[in-house]
Amino acid sequence: MADYQAVCKSEYCNAGWSEVLTHMSAYGWASFGVAFGLGLSIVGAAWGIWLTGSSLVGAAVKAPRIRSKNLISVIFCEATAIYGVIMAIILTNKIKEPENASDFLDNNWDYNGYYYAGYGMFSAGLSVGLTNIASGVSVGIAGSSCAIADAQDASLFVKILIVEIFASALGIFGIIVGIIQSNACTFPIAPLQ
Amino acid sequence: MAPKASSPGDLTTFNILHGLPEALVRGMRSSFLQDADYHHLTQCETLDDIRLNLSESDYADALADSATMTPASLQKAAIDKLVTEFKYLRTQTVEPLSTFMDFITYEYMIENVMLLLKGALSGRDINDLIEQCHPLGMFKESTMRSIPTFENSSKGYADLYQTVLVDTPVGPYFAVFLQETAQHRGSDARNVLEEVEIEIIKSSLIKYWLEDFTHFVEQLGGDTATIMGELLKVRADTNAINITLNSFGTPLNEPAMRAADRKRLYPAVGHLYPAGISMLVDVQDEEELGRVLELFPQYAAIWNMHAGGGGDKSIDDGFYERDVQMLELAFESQMHFAVFYAYVKLKEQEIRNLVWISECILQQQKDEINKFVPVFSHHCPWRGGKKH
Repeated sequence: MADYQAVCKSEYCNAGWSEVLTHMSAYGWASFGVAFGLGLSIVGAAWGIWLTGSSLVGAAVKAPRIRSKNLISVIFCEATAIYGVIMAIILTNKIKEPENASDFLDNNWDYNGYYYAGYGMFSAGLSVGLTNIASGVSVGIAGSSCAIADAQDASLFVKILIVEIFASALGIFGIIVGIIQSNACTFPIAPLQ
Repeated sequence: MAPKASSPGDLTTFNILHGLPEALVRGMRSSFLQDADYHHLTQCETLDDIRLNLSESDYADALADSATMTPASLQKAAIDKLVTEFKYLRTQTVEPLSTFMDFITYEYMIENVMLLLKGALSGRDINDLIEQCHPLGMFKESTMRSIPTFENSSKGYADLYQTVLVDTPVGPYFAVFLQETAQHRGSDARNVLEEVEIEIIKSSLIKYWLEDFTHFVEQLGGDTATIMGELLKVRADTNAINITLNSFGTPLNEPAMRAADRKRLYPAVGHLYPAGISMLVDVQDEEELGRVLELFPQYAAIWNMHAGGGGDKSIDDGFYERDVQMLELAFESQMHFAVFYAYVKLKEQEIRNLVWISECILQQQKDEINKFVPVFSHHCPWRGGKKH
């Protein structure tokens, strides 16, 4: 600490990265976590749906029987979006505002719980969002091939569906880890007694 | 000559613009005749039996209108069906797939222009010629009617280009051809093309088309460049070998003509380019051609089929078989454009098969009837079955 005082003389100096990070509101971190979790999951689901939907529509022109069965691929993609929504709802319910409005948090605020909640929710959101992008794209490409193959040979549908199930499992991994990460996170609403 | 093309996209982005047409053409794959269909067709006794058998296949609507059937009418109905499907696909596409599909039609446009010019030389009626033109390569009616009115001379061809062909997609190929022949023959443009036969003009135009198409496909990149590039290279090599083979016994095989004229017909793309092409220039008979092709394993096998005394199969059959094998492979992967080209070519092969079978039945030559190459067959040699 003696070093920095020798270097920086203005009243606006800060004490390095730790001060920067701790001055970023944990509520901000948590809210970004919700946004990433929801937004990236939706991107993954939408990507998967248009990948598989365009092939499904085209292949169904010559082979109309595949229409209903292959909507399962679209449903798998939609599931990744639902994981994102579930995570977003869980996280949003954990963000609580303090009881008494004030400019600064009290000295005996539960800072441990406060920062833990912020970072935990951010990482939970990223876990779910990034895994769901990968899962959505993967299900989409597999679904596109599934529709085209089913149009040629109906016995292939179930086999390729297994590939899609594995792809869809990637999204489940994300939400499981996300729930574990955010389980113990709650924002304190009053100072410690 | 080729327009700058945007990339077709890879596995994750191809379906944005091209997912629907690709899925359509893959659905159309199921309309090819199966082994069982071919089996029934070869058992037929008359052309009406053939028609009966085809009424259960995808050709049912195409044949419904005609009263009696001849091999020529069968061919026309089948080609019209292919053209309808092609046009349907073409209307669903956007760039760069639409340019790609246009490239497929330029080949037929070149054939049609040459047909009209050749027909004019032998004085045939313009209406008959237009009937014979391939529907995939049609121009406007007025353009086509004006082609045979030009005289068969250098000035005539230059005029033909300036007034008619310059606006068509095959205009640039004609322009390059005129330019190169003028350069090569010397400054006197009047003498250009006077001795040049129609066949040489056609070979040159096809060569320029192949090179242009290859350049376009390489610009697209990705799987399309790999698969389509391979198909076009093999096509170019087939052309080079056929040009050499057909030139034996004609003036083109004279040593003077070989280096000058025959060399200029070889495409500048393909596996044989540049080393094999420079060897082919000096080839003067079949033995030397065989020796050159021994150096290229993929063509040695086909050549040996021809050199082994003809027998069952001609070299054209060998080329057709190899082509069908490669075109079927284009259907094995997704998210590229080569399926469209493969679909057109495989359908053409199927039409050739149908015409062959119906001609054999018409002429009662049942022993020749099995000499066709079925498409997507389970009995073909590369799928482990024996050819029936």
